[in-house]
Amino acid sequence: MSNQTQSDTAAGRPTEGRPPEDTNVRIDDITKVFEESDGGEVVAVEDLSIDIRKGEFLVLVGPSGCGKTTTLRTVAGLESPTEGAIRIQGMDVTELDPRERDISMVFQNYALYPHKTVRENISFPLEVRSFPKDETERRVEEAADLLGITELLDRKPSALSGGQQQRVALGRAIVREPAVFLMDEPLSNLDAKLRVQMRTELNELHKRVGKTTIYVTHDQAEAMTLGDRIAVMNDGQLQQIGPPQQLYDRPTNRFVAGFIGEPPMNFLPAELDSTGDGYRVRTEAFDFDLPREKAALLDESGRSPDSVTLGVRPEDIDDASLVESGPNRARFEPYVKLTEPMGSDKFLTLTPEAGEGQELTARVSPDSDAEEDETTTLSANLEKVHLFDDRTGDNLTR
Amino acid sequence: MSNVDETRTPGIDESHERVSYRSRQQFWDLIESPYVVHAVLAFAMMTVLVPFGWELITSFKANSAIYNLNYLPANPTLQTYYNVLIGEGYWKAILNSLLISTSTTVIVLALATPAGYAFSRFRFRFDNLLFIGVIFSRLFPPIGLVVPYYQIMARVGLLDDLLGVTIAQVYLWLPLMIYIMRNFFISIPEELDESARVDGCTRLQAFRKVALPLARPGIAACGILTFLYSWREFLFSLIVTSTLDAMPISVAVFKFVGDVSVSWASMAAASILAIIPTVFIVVFFQRYIVTGLTSGALKG
Repeated sequence: MSNQTQSDTAAGRPTEGRPPEDTNVRIDDITKVFEESDGGEVVAVEDLSIDIRKGEFLVLVGPSGCGKTTTLRTVAGLESPTEGAIRIQGMDVTELDPRERDISMVFQNYALYPHKTVRENISFPLEVRSFPKDETERRVEEAADLLGITELLDRKPSALSGGQQQRVALGRAIVREPAVFLMDEPLSNLDAKLRVQMRTELNELHKRVGKTTIYVTHDQAEAMTLGDRIAVMNDGQLQQIGPPQQLYDRPTNRFVAGFIGEPPMNFLPAELDSTGDGYRVRTEAFDFDLPREKAALLDESGRSPDSVTLGVRPEDIDDASLVESGPNRARFEPYVKLTEPMGSDKFLTLTPEAGEGQELTARVSPDSDAEEDETTTLSANLEKVHLFDDRTGDNLTR
Repeated sequence: MSNVDETRTPGIDESHERVSYRSRQQFWDLIESPYVVHAVLAFAMMTVLVPFGWELITSFKANSAIYNLNYLPANPTLQTYYNVLIGEGYWKAILNSLLISTSTTVIVLALATPAGYAFSRFRFRFDNLLFIGVIFSRLFPPIGLVVPYYQIMARVGLLDDLLGVTIAQVYLWLPLMIYIMRNFFISIPEELDESARVDGCTRLQAFRKVALPLARPGIAACGILTFLYSWREFLFSLIVTSTLDAMPISVAVFKFVGDVSVSWASMAAASILAIIPTVFIVVFFQRYIVTGLTSGALKG
């Protein structure tokens, strides 16, 4: 396996020369510029390069307008890149029609043909390609069986529920057994409960079918649960690409840190003082000595500005009475503005002093006796904190 | 509603409310009652049907009985119909109308459907300008174009010719139908075309296999409207036809207005004959007109 496909660098640029053997889709330095009717230009995607391995489930995630859907549509051939190339299974498909690319796509609104029955919808990609009748029939039955929609085959899409329509759209995508599946926010039209259920089913389906999949979503939870790797995009640029846990543990910059994780990471303005053999971090809420490992990473980065942004995940803060204190924990006594019991844990909204200062979220154990409108003693896990460059947003302690 | 009363400050005169809430409610209840609604509908229907009925009755009267002050003909007769159709040879005008309207409909649909699709789907240089041009061609009164149109038809030898009349009809109705078809195609989600292209269709196949079948209600509405509009069109047909060789029924009816007198019974009979096909079309196809023009019934 090449170095570069595993790469988690911010740019994720491919190495020069031939793509690695098992690369199935290569997004090669594409830029997409849309011309607006008033003559202006919008750069939707800028210098994006990603290699997707055979059988990999890659999730493109980012806020709306970040260019993820444009990227997917470029791979599909529904948009042509202003610059750069798309390669599928080693072949340059940049100039090819969607139908010549050996892909199938699930659209956000499913795009089922309303005038066709479920059976006709699923068999359409085969029919257009003049597959023999018995082969078509066999494959449709197989796909329907896999997705549990056999009894719906003779209905029209309008007679189906959202979840059923979703399954039909998946069936139409898998029936042709293409090289790549493309999915554009396929779960966003389902209600919350069904979305979680379909997410699991998609995961299982991917395990069984094992096809290369590029999946676009704005939902970080979907990205984390589905992706073998996640590519986080913002403003048309790739921020970080890597396995979910890596993005969570070692975000490359403040954007990724804030995007991955729910509730999002707390960011606090902090001052950084060198203490000879280490660093001391001072914030409005608490001060602490930077753990040795983090300090080493900070030294490695070659940058140690006076002011930084401290990032602490809500789940790395807990009730001090419920965790053992240690060298790598910092105690502090904030004011509890709001408590939100979730059952499995309890969300606290905190401020350094009553009614003033920047808000902070903590996700503490449900056994915590923190009460609203009182101060409480909390403990933050310093091994998990991050320091970000104020100016560039880069993570200095990764 | 009681809470309105509760919010009022006691002691303040309520007479500032010119009509009490209760009275207003009663008024609207009355207006919306079935009696009133039906009365209004009945009146509207009368304004449409009474002239038609009068004409129908007249057509069964002998010419000499027109000025009798009887509502119903004393001796109803089909003689007038016979005279108009066979005697005056107006069966030819009906045939002309059928030929003109049918071919106009076919040509307009064949052009407006792909044109509407293109305007709804493709961005190309000057696309908006071109579309405005299409609409613009119908913005000024047709009478302004009648004279140049006559001159052109005279020059190319298409006066009193079915082809000449058909060309005029296509010119008159094509822009409107392109407009309607474009709007109809816009109501069909573009994702469906894209999905078809990913599923293996060329652009043309995506149009033919997905967009076209879904546009059927719109195409039906356009076809019916084109047929009805060209059937009743008068001005251009009048200018370029002079004999029954190419004269449609709408013009032929007018020919009963003589220099000296008007043949009312014949005119009535000819009018009824002209109306019959349109009534059939409206009765049988009205659901297409409704669904086609109130598109959006199609959700993706």
